[in-house]
Amino acid sequence: MERVRRMPWATALVGVALGLMLSMQFKVQRQVALADLATVQRMEKLVAQLAEAEAHRDELAAEVEALRQQQLLSVKTQNEYQALAERLEQAQIHAGLLPLMGPGVTVVMADSSLPVTAGENPNNFIIHDEDVLRVVNELQAAGAEAISINGQRVTGRTEIRCTGPVVTINGVRTAPPLNIVAIGNPDELERAITMKGGIAESLRFWGIQITVKKESLVRVPAYTARLRLDYAQPALEEVTP
Amino acid sequence: MWIIVLGFVVGILLGVLSPFTLPIAYSRYLSIAVLAALDTAFGGLRASMEGTYDNTIFISGFFMNALLAAGLVYLGDRIGVESLYMAGVVAMGIRLFQNLGIIRRLLLRRWGLLNGPEAAHPHPEEPAQAEKE
Repeated sequence: MERVRRMPWATALVGVALGLMLSMQFKVQRQVALADLATVQRMEKLVAQLAEAEAHRDELAAEVEALRQQQLLSVKTQNEYQALAERLEQAQIHAGLLPLMGPGVTVVMADSSLPVTAGENPNNFIIHDEDVLRVVNELQAAGAEAISINGQRVTGRTEIRCTGPVVTINGVRTAPPLNIVAIGNPDELERAITMKGGIAESLRFWGIQITVKKESLVRVPAYTARLRLDYAQPALEEVTP
Repeated sequence: MWIIVLGFVVGILLGVLSPFTLPIAYSRYLSIAVLAALDTAFGGLRASMEGTYDNTIFISGFFMNALLAAGLVYLGDRIGVESLYMAGVVAMGIRLFQNLGIIRRLLLRRWGLLNGPEAAHPHPEEPAQAEKE
């Protein structure tokens, strides 16, 4: 203790340093804890927002469907608009806005049943957006008149896109097995998929299960996703009457 | 003795009141330095109770240990031995508990609550050297 008196300030400095370091470390750790808490809170908020937005979207889709039915009905009931209604119906058929039925095929695609062995890329054994796109493309090329995938109508504005482990079609997430329904000549559609060196053969190489079945009557639902155009508008002067 | 406590209070006030906060990236090094400083502080307390206290050794040990501990962890991070941090925590933690145990025994003996032969070093196999390192 006598020696302390020889260097009181150096000894005090030890205390100051210890106190400073301790309080600084407490402050930093409190910040770390707060940051963790903020991340969790933000995540919970975003999840709630997503659920809310999805519920809202479903509500609006139902409303759109109801309004379309109503519109069709009111147009059809009036005789003077009969011709107009027919043209509207044709336009709606081509735009994919009406459910259709007729002969065709159903194509079912499911992920590979083969066990993935070590060293092989497991990505090769699951269905990707491009596989679906190739099947749809083949069906279109073979003259399919209407196509739907898991209840989603394929139109000119339809996207088929990988979003993580699922495929998004018309903004709706769907997962394998994919049930692709096409209306058209059943024989031609089936041949388009199963031809030698075709899409089915190359997918089966990876064990991806794809089956094509000819049907005498299949149903394709109407396009129910968003129709609003924000940028495009009719170029009327180019329309030939 | 009291001058250290006074300095400690001043240090805490400085730390709490200053607007400056250490970036989180450096908190690893500060934490190990704090542990080393605590270890030296208790080592010094123990040495003063045993009568082997030396101010120069204590002060130099305090700052050197803190700097060396942080420096070694930094070196470990640079050369890919991140677990050097753990090694430091374990080593420092064991010494802390040892010093605290010895301090407790010395206090008990001083208050007459401990019978038995007089022992300046309750752990003779570990001579009092904490403040020397």
